[in-house]
Amino acid sequence: MQDAKEILIDYIKTNQDKLYRVAYSYSKNEESALDILQESIEKALKNISKLRKVEYVKTWFYRILINESLQYTKKNKRIITCQLEEIEKNIEWNEEIKTEDIEIYKHIQSLNDKLKTVIILRFFEDMKIEEIAKATKTNVSTVKSRLYKGLSELKKLINN
Amino acid sequence: MKSIEKAQKVYDAVKIPTKLNYMVEKTILESQKERKTIYKPNYIKFVASAIACSFIFFVFMININPTFAASIAEIPILKDVAKIFTIKEFKEEDNTKLINAKIPALENTGNTDLEKRVNYEIMLKINEVLEEAEQRAEEYKKALIETGGKEEDYHPINIQIDYKGGYSSEKTVSFMIMKSETLASAYTEMYFYNIDIETGKNLNLRDVLGSDYKEIVDEAIYEEIEERSKNPENIYFKKGEGGFEGIENEYQKFYINSEGKVVIVFEKYEIAPGYMGIQEFIIN
Repeated sequence: MQDAKEILIDYIKTNQDKLYRVAYSYSKNEESALDILQESIEKALKNISKLRKVEYVKTWFYRILINESLQYTKKNKRIITCQLEEIEKNIEWNEEIKTEDIEIYKHIQSLNDKLKTVIILRFFEDMKIEEIAKATKTNVSTVKSRLYKGLSELKKLINN
Repeated sequence: MKSIEKAQKVYDAVKIPTKLNYMVEKTILESQKERKTIYKPNYIKFVASAIACSFIFFVFMININPTFAASIAEIPILKDVAKIFTIKEFKEEDNTKLINAKIPALENTGNTDLEKRVNYEIMLKINEVLEEAEQRAEEYKKALIETGGKEEDYHPINIQIDYKGGYSSEKTVSFMIMKSETLASAYTEMYFYNIDIETGKNLNLRDVLGSDYKEIVDEAIYEEIEERSKNPENIYFKKGEGGFEGIENEYQKFYINSEGKVVIVFEKYEIAPGYMGIQEFIIN
């Protein structure tokens, strides 16, 4: 399984920024996001033998990462709601970012974890519905319905 | 969906901490090391039994031989203060890298088992660090060539290993090893050794400063940061923005300087912008 391990390491190294952002969207805190990602990398490397096909390395790793993130949010609910306000500080500002954009981002963050996960993976991480189903251990129709529900809730939040 | 695109701009602008790359590299390396450390327990067992053996031998000798007991007291080495000295200095140069290393070792602690163990650990650590650095240099060179770079465009990576002998007495010895690479400044690493000579234990801040260590250290650092910040060129991160908010626990990095004072060390970027470099605080 040496090859699979190398592929995994390569995948992690080339995508570390992306993976960090996923973890960050759950923890909303730099240190915790680093912890979540570190935990996930350790788990993945330890359990590499469970990866059946190297083609699935991405969805497989996302599954671990999302599991770790959700576990973290469960444990730290109260802390996280406070830190939502910190988001602005952890952003590299540029002229294109407007205050209303941040508001929308915050609305996405405030969705429940299941809905938020599909929106992040589908739009920000540009994953296919089938890939999301694998990464979240559900099926295509569940992902579709969560996506639909997530978007309509988001619309409501924005219009209010 | 327009609003999704707007939110994506924010999502993509989330700051990536400088520590990320370091953390990823380290986690991957640590996980690979696990397999190699199979040998370690054996070594510790060996040292432990060696210590036990010499102890028995010692007691035995003192018991049966009064002149031997008297003679130990006169052996000057036992009274000598522990020293840190350079055991090996080497340079290595080829197309990919340029290594300049000074490897420290302990001597005259009066506890030879401890010396052997610590010196062995230092060697292991430095070998590991060098291997990593060499591997990184190879990878970097390969990547450069694969992406169309020419071999002559590649500058050998400069790897420096040095140590700073902090402090030594009959009871404690403290020093640090520093490694830097020119490939990326984020790769400056420091390893700290604060050792109790009698027990061989690694000392933490609680051992050195007592149970109030946190109050003592925090107060001194806050004061010093305020003092240094009077100079507008010195900028520290603010509280809540990655700045200093008190040390986390007794395992905070430190060494003991030649005056016997504790020096707390923060790595680059840890509490201040990169240009401020490594930050040291002397605790009085």
